[in-house]
Amino acid sequence: MRPFVRLGSIVGVLAVVIAASACTKKEDNPDGGSTALTAAQVKVALVPGGAHPYFQPWKDAGGKAKTDFAFGDVTFNETAGWDQTKQNDVLTSLAAQGYNAFGIFGVAPESINSTFENLKKQGFHVGSLASCPAGDKNLADFCLSTDVQEAAYKAAKAAVEAMGGAGNLVHLTGNKVDSNTQRRIAGVQKAVDETGGKVKLLDTITDIDKDLQTAQKAVADLLAAKGSQVNAIVTTAYNPAVAAAGGVKQAKLPIKVIAIDDDPTIIAGIKAGEVAATVLQNPVGQAYVGSYALVKLSEGCTMATPGVIIDSGSFVVTTANVATYDNDRAAKTTSLKSDFDSKYLTCAK
Amino acid sequence: MKQEDTTTPEQPRPPARLPLWANPRIGLVVLLIALIALFTTLRPAFLNTQLTLVPMQADISVYAVVGLSQLAVLSLGHMNMAVGRMAAMSAFASGLLHDRLDAPLIVALAGGLAMGALLGALAGIIISRTGVNSFVVTLALDFALIGLVSLLYATFTDGVAFNGLPAGMSALRTDTFADYCAGDVCGPEIPLLAPIALVAVLVVGLLFRWSRVGREVLMTGSNAKAAELSGIPVGWRVVQAHALSGLLAGLAGFLLSANNGSFSAGVGDGFLLPSFLAPVLGGTLLVGGAVSVLGTVLGTAITQVIYKGLNLLQFQVDELKLYIGLVLLAALSLDRLRHVLAERRGVPA
Repeated sequence: MRPFVRLGSIVGVLAVVIAASACTKKEDNPDGGSTALTAAQVKVALVPGGAHPYFQPWKDAGGKAKTDFAFGDVTFNETAGWDQTKQNDVLTSLAAQGYNAFGIFGVAPESINSTFENLKKQGFHVGSLASCPAGDKNLADFCLSTDVQEAAYKAAKAAVEAMGGAGNLVHLTGNKVDSNTQRRIAGVQKAVDETGGKVKLLDTITDIDKDLQTAQKAVADLLAAKGSQVNAIVTTAYNPAVAAAGGVKQAKLPIKVIAIDDDPTIIAGIKAGEVAATVLQNPVGQAYVGSYALVKLSEGCTMATPGVIIDSGSFVVTTANVATYDNDRAAKTTSLKSDFDSKYLTCAK
Repeated sequence: MKQEDTTTPEQPRPPARLPLWANPRIGLVVLLIALIALFTTLRPAFLNTQLTLVPMQADISVYAVVGLSQLAVLSLGHMNMAVGRMAAMSAFASGLLHDRLDAPLIVALAGGLAMGALLGALAGIIISRTGVNSFVVTLALDFALIGLVSLLYATFTDGVAFNGLPAGMSALRTDTFADYCAGDVCGPEIPLLAPIALVAVLVVGLLFRWSRVGREVLMTGSNAKAAELSGIPVGWRVVQAHALSGLLAGLAGFLLSANNGSFSAGVGDGFLLPSFLAPVLGGTLLVGGAVSVLGTVLGTAITQVIYKGLNLLQFQVDELKLYIGLVLLAALSLDRLRHVLAERRGVPA
């Protein structure tokens, strides 16, 4: 039996090698064969990396964009579950359902370019929303995102100011094996370095943005262990921000908290003077203007600079501007849309 | 390929021929066909080649190998809780080899597989020497590796992933055999990843069915004491089975890296549950002594079909999880019903 198996295997391998060597690869179609569509034919899918409070404004912003720009349809799908493989699956499923323009928050910034490349190869338009790919290359048509390093830098500067320019700072953030978190850590470090040693970064606590309970436990542990040494806490992720605001209030410690985003507890904390400041991002602008740009691209416009990275804005909110901050954000969204018309898009008249 | 009969080759017993309906694999095939028919009826886009079938085949290829990795130790009645992190370490080894030594694809793959096998063997040695439960040992190893993977990426890369892939790895992600033609004859729409997984399936299947080592591993899983008294080197077989599990985890990590487009620290994060689901759904016993390689492949295919189908039906995040759970429960219950019916009629199934 064995000699036959061996002989069969050798013949099989040889047959495969000979067949493979006779093969040549078909030429790729680099532009993916995309054709101009009417607005009514454009179906936009807004796909975050998973369920997270940050993305909830995308639903309404996408709906408003659909009404304002009269395109075919919009959907919001948060089923990716923070798994890049699942997100790829969700995207191809949406494409199979007829969605032809995608606003994506990639789960894994280090590999999301491959996902963008796959979609673009099939002729779809893609915007990277709320996060840009890691590295110096963006293969989506554009990236409309908070400059996370800059936002973290602003937050840390606000913390340094709130603590009087000296003392111990703690940084609370999200998933360590995420290149955006690495950029946030770098932003905070830069602000600390600029103090020339007056401010010491006591600890950087990562992986606590999974849910509020995880963040609350980490904050409670931190306050129990080092509460008396900490002068300020800077948070660069949503759940740690909410947890830090609540934890410090409960512990009644004189710690300055710099939060991120505008959860009602954080805004209430600013109004009550318990939270020193918060750094807001612009999720509405990302989804609204991102949808607009995707419709324009589908109609035949092109990007003046393919893969351009656009800062969607970050805003430091303190007691001084807590009543008016949303006006600044709305103004930024309006200016982003005009920038697309005047700078980023090239459209045939 | 289910191995329930542990008689030695010297005392062959003619296997009782199963009626078709009592064969568990036939049940899974029928279920698979029924699911495909159901989803195709509800959403004809389920049969879209580029957007549904090709990505689904790639996912099945990755997760079938993930399932085999767990199956390798389930054969002993053991568990490998570190399957995801072994994949991550293997992807790191492959990435490092390419990044620092400019290793070609095949060398990077071999390095990754060697890393996986070494980690698996390490777990096997600890288990066989100390007698500590495999669950505890591999869980501890998983914790240790979470930290190690993060540290290694922080040391050797800019953040959490290697920039760049070996030549040819992108083709594994983007190309199907239909892209390669000999004259006018092109291959089928099967991703290039699939044959790699197929080789793994064949090798593991042949190992457990025909090889002495595989049979002895199953006998060890069935009754370690009896196996030892029969002269089987039980400790060594435990090490070998765990090394195989590590090697297959490494292969799964490589396939996922190819599929997602980068060697990153996040590889393997979502491997643990699917690694158990596919073999158990396919008829592999958790207590050891019986494995089903074909069943594992079918179990993987069923899970991926369900996931893809529900995605196409655009279920929202909570509904998606609920329905995946319900469909899997129904599938397992039907299989149990078939088993009971078979037993009542005196047919071993």
